[in-house]
Amino acid sequence: MVTPIYIVATGLGVGFAIGILKKFGKNFTGALVLAALAFMTFISFQWFYGLHYGSEVATYVYTAGFKPPFSINLLMGQYESIASLMINAIGLLGGIYMFNSLKARGSDAQVVYLILIMAMNVLVMTRDIFNLFVFLEIVSIAIAGVILLEKSDRSMSAGFKYILASGIISTILLLGIVFAYYLTGTLNIDDFVGISLNTYKGGGLVIFLMMMAAILELKPFPANGWGLDLYEGADPGISAIISGASATASLFVLYKIMAFAGAEWNYYVALIGIITFVGSNFFGIVQENTRRMLGYSSIGQIGLLMVVLGFKDVLGDSTPFILFGLLISHYLAKAGLFWLSGIIKAKDLKEWSVIRKHPYFLFLMGTFVFALIGFPPFPSFFSKFNFVLLLTETGNIAWVIAILAGSMLEAIYLFRWFGYAVKSENSHIEKNKVCLHKSIPIWIMALALYGFSYYTSLSNPWSIAINFIPLAFVALLFVLDFLPVYIKNSLSILGMAYYFYLVYPQLDNMRLIFEVIFIVGGILTLIAGFAYKGTRPGFHAVALLMFAGLTAIIEAKTTLEFFFGWELMTAGSYFLIIRGKRSMTHALSYMMFSIGGAYALLAAFGISNVGQINLDLNQIGHISYLSTWAYALLILGFLTKTASVGLHIWLPGAHGEAESDVSPMVSAILLKAGVFGLVLTLIAMNGSDSQWSNLAYALGWLGAITALSGNLMAVFQEDAKRLLAYSSIGQLGYIVFALAMMTHLGWLTAFTYSINHFMYKAILFLTIGAVVLRVGTHDMYKMGGLIARMPMAFIAVLIGIIALSGVPPLSGFAGKWLFYNAVMEKGWYFQGIIIFFSGGLAFLYLWRLIHTIFLGQLKDNHRNVKDISIWFAIPVYILIGGIMVFSVRPDWVLQPLGNMLSPFFPTGQLNWDHSYAYTTLGYWSGTNVFITIVILFLIVFGILALSTRKAHKLKQFDITYSGEKPFRPETTHVAWNVFAGFYKAVWPATIPLVAKFWDYVTDFFHDGAGFTRRIYSGNGQAYMMHILYFIIITYIVIIGG
Amino acid sequence: MSIYYKLGYTLLGLLIVLNWGMLMSAIFRKIVARVGGRYGIPYYQPWIDLIKNLGIRTTLSHGIMFYLGPVFRFTGAVGLFLFMPVLFGNEAWANFSFQGDLVLILYFQLFGMLGMALGAGEGGHPHSAIGISRGLAQHAAIELPMTMGIIALAIQYQTLSISDIVAAQQGSVLNWSIFTNPIAGVTILLAALGAMGHSPFNLVKAPNEIPIGPPTEYHSTFLGILMSSGAILHVMEAVLFMNLLFGGASNWFEMILKTFLIYFYSVFVGVVYPRFRIEQSVAWFFKIPLLLGIIAILMYSF
Repeated sequence: MVTPIYIVATGLGVGFAIGILKKFGKNFTGALVLAALAFMTFISFQWFYGLHYGSEVATYVYTAGFKPPFSINLLMGQYESIASLMINAIGLLGGIYMFNSLKARGSDAQVVYLILIMAMNVLVMTRDIFNLFVFLEIVSIAIAGVILLEKSDRSMSAGFKYILASGIISTILLLGIVFAYYLTGTLNIDDFVGISLNTYKGGGLVIFLMMMAAILELKPFPANGWGLDLYEGADPGISAIISGASATASLFVLYKIMAFAGAEWNYYVALIGIITFVGSNFFGIVQENTRRMLGYSSIGQIGLLMVVLGFKDVLGDSTPFILFGLLISHYLAKAGLFWLSGIIKAKDLKEWSVIRKHPYFLFLMGTFVFALIGFPPFPSFFSKFNFVLLLTETGNIAWVIAILAGSMLEAIYLFRWFGYAVKSENSHIEKNKVCLHKSIPIWIMALALYGFSYYTSLSNPWSIAINFIPLAFVALLFVLDFLPVYIKNSLSILGMAYYFYLVYPQLDNMRLIFEVIFIVGGILTLIAGFAYKGTRPGFHAVALLMFAGLTAIIEAKTTLEFFFGWELMTAGSYFLIIRGKRSMTHALSYMMFSIGGAYALLAAFGISNVGQINLDLNQIGHISYLSTWAYALLILGFLTKTASVGLHIWLPGAHGEAESDVSPMVSAILLKAGVFGLVLTLIAMNGSDSQWSNLAYALGWLGAITALSGNLMAVFQEDAKRLLAYSSIGQLGYIVFALAMMTHLGWLTAFTYSINHFMYKAILFLTIGAVVLRVGTHDMYKMGGLIARMPMAFIAVLIGIIALSGVPPLSGFAGKWLFYNAVMEKGWYFQGIIIFFSGGLAFLYLWRLIHTIFLGQLKDNHRNVKDISIWFAIPVYILIGGIMVFSVRPDWVLQPLGNMLSPFFPTGQLNWDHSYAYTTLGYWSGTNVFITIVILFLIVFGILALSTRKAHKLKQFDITYSGEKPFRPETTHVAWNVFAGFYKAVWPATIPLVAKFWDYVTDFFHDGAGFTRRIYSGNGQAYMMHILYFIIITYIVIIGG
Repeated sequence: MSIYYKLGYTLLGLLIVLNWGMLMSAIFRKIVARVGGRYGIPYYQPWIDLIKNLGIRTTLSHGIMFYLGPVFRFTGAVGLFLFMPVLFGNEAWANFSFQGDLVLILYFQLFGMLGMALGAGEGGHPHSAIGISRGLAQHAAIELPMTMGIIALAIQYQTLSISDIVAAQQGSVLNWSIFTNPIAGVTILLAALGAMGHSPFNLVKAPNEIPIGPPTEYHSTFLGILMSSGAILHVMEAVLFMNLLFGGASNWFEMILKTFLIYFYSVFVGVVYPRFRIEQSVAWFFKIPLLLGIIAILMYSF
């Protein structure tokens, strides 16, 4: 085992040697630096490995042959080895990345860089407070050195401000050290830990000064303007080091000083941390400059880590897991992003679209962004989950709210940035040249992130149960992305079918229904994918990612598994949605609502976990603590997915702009995930003793209003897919309402609607999507008369709208009939009437959908379009078969559903007498009605056919209008603004109050952040004042005036 | 009763209803003419029209949906008759109402409407589409107070079965829903004005301005079928209101008298009030009828 002193020795030795050897050229000295860094990394790795696997014990290294207090001692323990390994590894990779830029600045820069890395190692290992001060100075000077060596005004000014700031910080630390020595006669940290400085008169001030210095090093909000300028002005390679290595070292310094500062400091560290986390991310949302934005994010993440440190006594044994998970995610992802920003060279966020010209970099960027936000399977996901659970369990709800709020703010700007990268215009930007030595470190970081993800999930006792097989399949599809569509599509379908075969015997009936909707529905919509040509890059992996998430929430046994699946699904669906042509803003708002909803779920799971011994999902059935809040949060979280009114504004754009086969995936299938969640929650509420009827009552009204507003908005859409999207909002409103009734009939209605909506919305979205592929527009008024060209599509839409409208004899009527009975029995008359009125509005938009597209006058440019692709028609007609079976034999579906619901709602069931269904109020025989109507229809049709058998078909314009035969279809197709008269009567109800509300919220945050961030004036003196104010205010708060 | 007897009765009933409907439409046109100072058509005019229309050779069609429009319409009208208990306490004239309740009737009304709207749409005439868009908008507005009134009755009688609702009104005239539940009754009757489609709610067909709206392109046999459907529908709508509000009917005479009065209530309103524009008509249903509907429901909510 090489002793850790060699880390210092190598750094210093090679540093001095370069002074002599520089005549061999900068390539040589550069290689020497890398070799030194590699050796240093090796030493730390060796220690890390030994300590981790128990072959080594924590070891003190003494210098100069004496023991403390007469000499400096270094400690290499488990945490030290990790921190040192992290610093050296990023130092080595950063050295490779910056090889050319360091070379360009000369061998001096190479030396300074090496010394910087070495000094940070000492910061971690030293147990002598004065030595710590010295190396803090060395680090500051070295950082300033590498920054100032870059010849630009911006970096010059940033470096100067940095020197000023670090000067103040060092002075404070030095003052503390002087007093400490005066009081105790020792400078050894281990001694401080032993003697409790607080007991000395003035000891509190000593600790205050030392703590201040350690905290200020971490750039606490708002005394961090200098740090932001540093991130913005420095070479991205240096920023990566500052963010990854320097922050790790500084955090370690804080950790060491906290060890003797006393427990009362924990709270303040956490407080400063959370203010930094929330404040930084708040300002981050108005940044347009990439590196500055990443700076805000870095500072925010360090703030979050400070919160973890502050709570270390509360978190107990879990502290290392949480801290490490967050730190490693930040460390790898942020370094990767800074390095990417050095290659992409796009200052403005919008210019990041150029990254699409390097698709693999886009993948890397996505990996880093999702890791930062804490999506699965990254370590930060598990850390955040544990952190929130433990904080809730110990009653720190306010902290949980603040942490989730800060994370939400961070997600806003990171996903906005990612959205620009994926979607904004890039034809005007030139592709960047990429050197191999710059991209390799980024790849290593990303691969390490995935490696650690696997490692973290293994080390968490609850996450071992997570089923990673679907995720592995997704990864396989990523790797096979170069293959043509038909191979990937077949592979996906086979994979899903096989998985369904494996899983379905393990599921109860209720879960099976949703699994069928998710997986069988997924397979059907994937069939449509055969219509696409080429490789369709990225599509299959992200689609399967969504389906993997969906099946994971079905199979989940613990809240962790559920949340894991939920986030996977969110990620997958986000990627699916953002693939649409004009989807950038819609994908962002989808993501924001999804993350908000997910955090509500997370908080609820945290609350439900209080007093429980495990993470069993069934525990939401007996929540003992704040149960109403927990249920409200769960419902809120799931309502973001069902797009209930107020939380719906993402849906029309997201579904409307998505690709033709994606719309049915995210509408007919994905929305049912929210329904599934609600079903779980309401079953839990039903079984629990808590008072839930008010919550259910409110949910009922919400569902009814959602149904009304969704359907009303659908009436006035000109875009076919948006019309269907609004219709989905309305339909999901019905389902939410029916679930909220909490009766047997109500739930039967809800399940009937869920199944029906899955079928007819998939039919409609697939068919309309296929039509859009042929005619190239979503705008209905640009189509017309397509029945002549697309009879297959017309029949599908016809069946779809009859089923949706609820007109007998098709299956939609089953839902309507159940609805009347359920509403009457429950006594929710007004809500019910709103629902029925919404059903009436559905006629308006359904007629509009079929009429403006298929009937009326054919447009000149569509005279030669073909019928929809056979690949779209196949799933559509399979689903039509499903609707027909349900229509002819509703008892085949409703009876098993009723049996399934009986354990939850034993009273008020539907009674069956052969094909007749009875309630206490009404009766209906779906089969008989179907037969009667069909026979009648055929008789009338037969008579008419006999009497008009010689009729021939007229040409398009064989009508008279305004005294002549029209010859321009545009003037005779009544399509645009069809319901203008209706609009005149109901316009007050169509004011988009919700959208305005969210606009207002967005503006409030944006303007608020824009205004307050002016404190960062860029003036060095102002920044120094901030630091002083920060110290004074903290002093007043902590020590008292 | 065997199914053949049943079918025989049903066919006979249908014939009665059809002819009664045609006579009612003739009387309607006569009244409107007399109010307007004209002499009007002879009472047998609808039969002449029907025979003429069915007699003309039909050689033209705009396509399959155009063709199916009248089929939907006629099926809708006859289906409504089949699922409605026309005479109370008489198994033969209860038709096939055992297959479904009030909810079936409410939704099956839309069957013919939807088919007709689509068929007319394929005709490609702008007047058809204009008429349909107005018709759908107005229908949505009518449905709100109508549903409220019907729900109020269903709450009152705790059933969704029309036969049971009629049964509950037997015994005395004062047992009729219009007297036992006057607010719901008035709500339904106001909504019924719209459902009957006479002035002021006749912008859908707007006989003079957009030549008969949706059916513009229909001719000969098609038109004949549509006329017959219209006759049946008018009677069946009146029967629905009769069953809900006026104690039903136990014989054909009572049924004819009551439906006559219900139908002509809307005709008389029509000749007095001029036509609404569509936004006026929609807004009208959202005012007094809606308010009454809310009161009708509120009475059962506490």
